[in-house]
Amino acid sequence: MTSEQFIDLVRTEQEPLRRFLLALCSGDAPLADDIAQEALIRAYVSSGSFLGRSKFKTWLFRIAYNCYIDHCRKAAPARLDAAGGEALNLPSGDSADSRFRYQQLYQALDRIPEKEKAAIVLFYFEDKSIKEIAVILDMPIGTVKYNLSMGRNHLREYITI
Amino acid sequence: MKDSNIEDILRQAKPVVKEDPTFLMETRRRMEQVEGIKKEVDRQHKKSRIILIVTLVAGLVLGMLAMAVVFLYPSLFQGFDSSFLAGIKDFLVKWKQFLPYPVAAIAIALSLVLTLKPKESLS
Repeated sequence: MTSEQFIDLVRTEQEPLRRFLLALCSGDAPLADDIAQEALIRAYVSSGSFLGRSKFKTWLFRIAYNCYIDHCRKAAPARLDAAGGEALNLPSGDSADSRFRYQQLYQALDRIPEKEKAAIVLFYFEDKSIKEIAVILDMPIGTVKYNLSMGRNHLREYITI
Repeated sequence: MKDSNIEDILRQAKPVVKEDPTFLMETRRRMEQVEGIKKEVDRQHKKSRIILIVTLVAGLVLGMLAMAVVFLYPSLFQGFDSSFLAGIKDFLVKWKQFLPYPVAAIAIALSLVLTLKPKESLS
């Protein structure tokens, strides 16, 4: 894959990729973009080994998720300190009630386990199928369903509206 | 709260990504840096390969010359006595029945290494 072909593919996939990471990073756009850049470079370096067994988009999301997990492992103490901060980049043009509800949702997302959060984000924000999520998160389909169910239960506990 | 309510909230709360024209420019800049590193690594690999081939050819040529000298002028080596070479000869004679095993093991290992297909990298 040449660099131009890679850039062409990235041009179409950058928005969903950045949105996925933005949700995982609880609205921290600079951090999400940093992780997205790192994921794209990792993908570019190993693009020669992309055998096309999965879609390019799925492969890219999987790399991005791995980069995000690496980042979480490195920044675990800082992340704990930051918990409960204000969620950024909420959908604009909403009423104060909606904004409060979204803020609660993002704070709740930040409190649930990473795998549940990733499954929820991919399913509801990125409209991915269970099968695709299983490939991205490298887990069986049954485990994805379990994580989605547990994630919803946890969110229900944390959101009081 | 019902399951459908939480699902509705999630579907409505899709985050908004701000358009950033510098994002792709930054990606391109980093890719160029990676290309530079790749070229340097390739150059180093090429250099190592050339050194390896030259060493191999030099070894073969010197070996052939040595063999030729031994065969053409055997009288030069009649007085040559080496206990080290004699030791090697004795070792080979003593353990000759086991020699095919390490040779076969190395051949199998090399064939496995050379025929192994690269896995799809997920970084």
